[in-house]
Parts: sequence; C-alpha cells; structure tokens
Amino acid sequence: MEIWGPPHVERHEGSRHFQAYTCDIVVKAMSFIRSGGLDATKAILVPHTCDALQGMGSVLGDFLQPDQRVLTLYLPRGRRSSDHEFLRRELGRLARTLVEVSGHEPCRDDWDEAFEAEDAADAALADLYRRRARLAISDRDFYTVVRSREYLTAEQFCDQAAALPEGEAPQRGVGLMISGIVAEPALFDQIEAMGAYVAGDDLACGFRRVYSASAEADPLERAANRLLTSPADPTCGTPIQVRVDTLQTRMRALGARGLLIYDPKFCEPELFDVPLLRKHLNAAGFPVLHVEFEMGDRLPYQTLSRIEAFVETLS
Amino acid sequence: MTRSEALPHYVESSRLEHFVNYEVLGKTTLRVQRWRDQWKLARRRPRPNSPLNPPLRSVAHMKEIMSRHYLEGRYAAGVRKVAWVTSGAPTEPLQALGYFLVYPENHAALCGVRRKAQGIAEEAEHAGWSRDICSYARTDIGAMISGKTPAGRLPRPDVLVCCTNICQTVLHWYRVLADYFECPLVLIDTPFLYQEAHDHEVAYVKRQIEDMICVAEEIAGKSLDETRFRDVMTNARRGAELWLEVLNRSQHRPAPMTAFDGFIHMGPIVDMRGEAVTVAYYERLIAELDERIERGIGAIKEERYRVLWDNLPIWFKIGDFSKWLAERGVNVVASTYTFAWGELAPMIDPSQPLDSMARVYLHPILNRSTGHKLASMRRMVDEFQLDGVILHSDRSCKPYSLGQIDQRDRLVKTLGIPALLLEADHNDPRDYSDEQGSNRLEAFIEMMEPRG
Repeated sequence: MEIWGPPHVERHEGSRHFQAYTCDIVVKAMSFIRSGGLDATKAILVPHTCDALQGMGSVLGDFLQPDQRVLTLYLPRGRRSSDHEFLRRELGRLARTLVEVSGHEPCRDDWDEAFEAEDAADAALADLYRRRARLAISDRDFYTVVRSREYLTAEQFCDQAAALPEGEAPQRGVGLMISGIVAEPALFDQIEAMGAYVAGDDLACGFRRVYSASAEADPLERAANRLLTSPADPTCGTPIQVRVDTLQTRMRALGARGLLIYDPKFCEPELFDVPLLRKHLNAAGFPVLHVEFEMGDRLPYQTLSRIEAFVETLS
Repeated sequence: MTRSEALPHYVESSRLEHFVNYEVLGKTTLRVQRWRDQWKLARRRPRPNSPLNPPLRSVAHMKEIMSRHYLEGRYAAGVRKVAWVTSGAPTEPLQALGYFLVYPENHAALCGVRRKAQGIAEEAEHAGWSRDICSYARTDIGAMISGKTPAGRLPRPDVLVCCTNICQTVLHWYRVLADYFECPLVLIDTPFLYQEAHDHEVAYVKRQIEDMICVAEEIAGKSLDETRFRDVMTNARRGAELWLEVLNRSQHRPAPMTAFDGFIHMGPIVDMRGEAVTVAYYERLIAELDERIERGIGAIKEERYRVLWDNLPIWFKIGDFSKWLAERGVNVVASTYTFAWGELAPMIDPSQPLDSMARVYLHPILNRSTGHKLASMRRMVDEFQLDGVILHSDRSCKPYSLGQIDQRDRLVKTLGIPALLLEADHNDPRDYSDEQGSNRLEAFIEMMEPRG
C-alpha cells in the first residue's frame, strides 16, 4: 500500500520531527506512521526520490525506529547503462532484505507469477489512459481508479479497470493538462464546476507511472527495465527540453489547451522546472498556470479563483 | 601550418586578453594589494573595544588566491575549457585535463557575504523561480539571467558536472543551467548512504566518474595524463589533510580561530583542491595558528563557552554573529560543514585514483544518514570540549536540516548540553529575523552559564 501524504491527517505529529518548510507528503506520512496507521505492516519502504524523502527514511531508521523494518530504495536519476546496472543490483539488495522480512524465498515460478500480474496491471493502467475519451465516468472517478493502483493488488486493479463503463466521456468545456505530484479528488470536482475537464495528466501518482513491460528473463533485470522506462519525470532527472517536448506532444494529441501545474508546497523537483516549462510552453502556444497547495486542506478561495480565471482565458 | 594559424581569431584575442589582464596586470595588482593588506594587518593592534583579537595575517594571502581565481574566470573563456561543478563533484580529472572550474555554490556564497544575494536572487524570482527553492540556486540563476555578480563576470561553461552527494537540489538546478547554456550536463549520481556503502554503490559511482572522464577528454580534445592526474590527487589529499589539521587546531584552548574564520578560509579547499597553491596556503595558515597557540592568543579575547555550529553558515551574518557571540564570551570553535572538506582525506589514495574517488565522493557528511551526523557531532563535542551546539535550521538546505530536531533532542538528552535550533537561511536575509534570533541565542547562552 502506498502513502502519498494521506488526507485528513494533521501535521503536528510529523512536525515534531520535521521543520515547517518540509513538504506535506513527508510530514503527514510521518504523522500517519506515528499514529499507528501502518501498524498492520511488517516493513516500511521509503523510496529515495528527493531530499525530503531521504530525510524521512533516515529519521525513521535512525531515530524513530518503528516496530516495522525500515527499508530504502535508491532510484537513480539517469537512464544510462550505469543507472540500469546499479538499479538491478539495488533491487537485488532490496529483494534480499524482503526475503529476510517475509521469511519467504521466491522461486522462479513466484517471480514469473508476480511479474505477469504486475505487467497486466501496468497494461490495464496504460489502457485506461488510452481509453479515457471512451469511458463514461467523471474525472474524479477516473482518477479514483487510477490511484487505486496504489493500494489494490494487481489482480483487483485489473478487475476494477475492466469494469469501467464505456460510452461518451462526460468531459465538457476546456481541456486541461495537469502536472505535479498528486491531485486530490476535490480538485476534479472544482475543475468540472468551472467548465473544464482534465484532458491528460503528468502527475507523479498518475501518468508518470505508466510503465512499459519488459521481456527480460532475469527478474531483477526486468524490474529495473520497468522502472527506467517510465515517462518523463523531473525526479528521475529527465532533461527539461524532453519534458517540454513530451508535454507539448501529449497536449496536442489530447486536446489540452493549457497546463495547470499543481504542486504541494516546498516540492523542489517540481518547482525548479516551472519557469522553463512556462517559457517553452507559452512559446508553443500553451498557457501555463502554477498553483501550490497544502495537502488535505480545502482549496483556498484564492487558488480556486486563479484556476477559474485561467480556465476563462482558455475558453 | 603553425599553431597560431590553426587557432580561430577569437581564441587568439582571448589568449592575449588572458595574458595581459590576468597574467600580467591582474596578478601584479593582486600581489600589490596583498602586500598592502599584509602591511596593514602587521601594524594592526588589538582594539580595546573589540571582543575579537586581530584577524589572521594569512587572510591577505587567501584574499589574493581567491581573487586571482575569480579574476582568471573572467578571462578563461577561449583559453581554457570551463566546467561548472557542484561543491562535492569529483573534479580531480577535470583539473588534470586543464579545465577552469567554476563553483556556482561558492559564487552564491560570495554574493551572500557581500550582501548582494537578495537583490540577485530577486532577479530569479521575478523570472518565476519560487522563493521556496534553495537560495544558492536562486542567487546563481539570478546572476545567470541578469549578469549581476560581485565577481565581475563568470565564464560560460563548456560542460556542467553535477554530483548529487550534497543534495538532490543540484540536479534540478543544473538541469536549468543545461537548458540555459545549451551545454552537456554530466551527472554523477551518488546513492545516499543510510548505512555503510555497498559494493554496487561504489561501482556505480566509479563507472560514472570513468564516463565523466571520457566526456571531459572529448570536450578538452586531449587525453588524461596519468602522471598529472596522480599529482592532482596527491595535492587533493595533502590539501584535505592540511585543512583537517587547520580545523583541529581549534581543539586548543583558547581556540586560535573561530568556525566563522573557517567558513572564509575554506575557499581554497572547495574551489582549488588538487592545486599546489592550496597546499602551500594551508601550510602557511597552520604555521600562523601554531604561532598563536604558542603565544596563547585566541580568536576571541575571552573564551568562556565553546560551541559547535551545524549546517551551512548564514553568509550574510557571519561578521555580525562572530562579533555578537564573542561579546558574550562564545567562541564557535568547530562546524560540521567545514569538516566535510577535510574528514575524508585518509580515503584519498593517489595510487588508486578512481577507486578511492568513488569512495570519497560517496561519503561526504551530507550523503550520509542523520544518525551518522549525530555521531559526528557527539565526537566533536568530546574532542573540542564543547559547551553547546547551534543547529542552523537552514530553510534552503533540506538534506542538512531534516533530522536536526531529533539530533538536537538527543544531544540535549544524552550529552546533557544545550542545543539550539536557529531558524534562518544561508543566503536569504528575508528568512532570518534578527530580533527572534538574538532572543533565542541569548536564551541559549543562559543555558550554558553553569558550564562557563
């Protein structure tokens, strides 16, 4: 199960360990862990994608030492052969630790079965994005299913994705592309109420996780390939121009008229790119709006007004 | 064809400009300035109203060395290949290949010390960069787009080398630089060490350094000279050893220099490690410190409390803090930050340059766990006989700052010494409140009184 700074969790428990300038995802995840939200688990895996998550993994392991084993995974910031080789070995290290934690040593059939299920779920997620315009569900419902990939098993996710009704998508008005880390459900309702819809996304919890299947026989090789073929992503070091080109191509194909960058406060990996995304996309005829938010809080009126004005200018 | 015929016209004019303005006029002027500064320092007597003893005489040499470095930067384009590098980047092969190195972080710190950082950072903010990103990055991006810098002019990079062993911020910052300058970005990705380094992590860094050398050779148009490379490595090790000795001289009571002096004197080991001039400079500085120790001269006149500084300095407040604390008998004698450029000296092995570089550049304190930093602070409290710790909670440096709340709690509970979390920013004065900072520091000093 994945934790993306769960909503309805207060910052105060996490704030005992992290300064006020730390992003909500980390502080609230820490609050959630400290309040017993993950007591049912045997291990907590903290991926290394930014300085804030690095701090969280380190503080958890060094100082707080919860009952669960704290595991880490360093995700390389490039897509070179050296990154591939490193990630394969890093995944091997993680796998050995998981064997210790679970007491189960997977055999070849176990690996094959797991990959088959995960590949199917990856394909189902990719297919959801391909079929978006033919799914008779709101943006809120669509992203509820997309994000269920974070907590459902691969098989359950496939069933849920397959059950979505086909028909005319209730997408009316101005098409927007959303970029950032995570968008909470209320945003989709607000966008719909403003006369717009989400034509596509570049969210860390959304499209950036559409992985390609790999046919490698070695399970670690296959897992490394899968992670390193994810779409353009600043936390993976994708050059800005590649991000711009990818966004432009997708926005044209999906009919998005503008880009809404929706970032949690203090998210450096996202913040650095904003001025250049704006510059390059504006030059290509795509207006850009950047807003920051605090997770779990109701969207401030001022933020909503800015998004509303942005939608109006695109109409 | 003669050598000059083979060179484009602009290269020839650059060489002439470099020779006249840097080699002849620049170096001479700076040498004269140094003589003048030395003369003034030699005649300077302790000021009765100042809590500080006269500054180290070596500062005149350091000023000359650093000014010469920045001056050469102005005329380096077209004469030497230029690499912009992060402060933790494996630069020794680049130096051996003759690159001129620019450290944007050091440049930003220079802007901070000269109190120019805010105005320059605002240029970046007006261009859309958020105030929530690192103030070093904002300062340098601001300088890049506006041309404003107290250093005169920074040379355009031929290549950017970004090593993530100090933070992930540099990756995002250097992607912006790569987009602006349209030049190659070489990434040395160093996995964060939650525990001891694993073999695959060392192998990963080594391979990236090898790849960096290939790119650097291609851009420089020449191959790495093994002898020159070994010489640079030898100087890098010796420079780091000497820097560590400089810092450890403050274990003496009274300490002959403050950590604030250390923040200034670290310039050569950051910007010019691997160069003979750095080795010579620190030998000179050690001789002066030993002379002070022998004569019982401390950096401050009345050393009642000895304190550790954690994290980057607050560049725009260095002078003020130094004086304000000294007035209250507080000598900040050590810092985790300045040690970062010395403590890895024993790992540098010129006979196995690539293997040792891979290990060295994986192990800076900023690439190690929060528990390791706490262990380092505990060791320093013991070795330097410290009475308290100031942890600068630096809004712009998250990898250094996250973990400080638990570190402070453990220092207080297990060592029983006062520890203060001081909220500020290393380069942005808008994120520091003088009144609040002074109040908290006053309370911290009161907590140390029973130890004074």
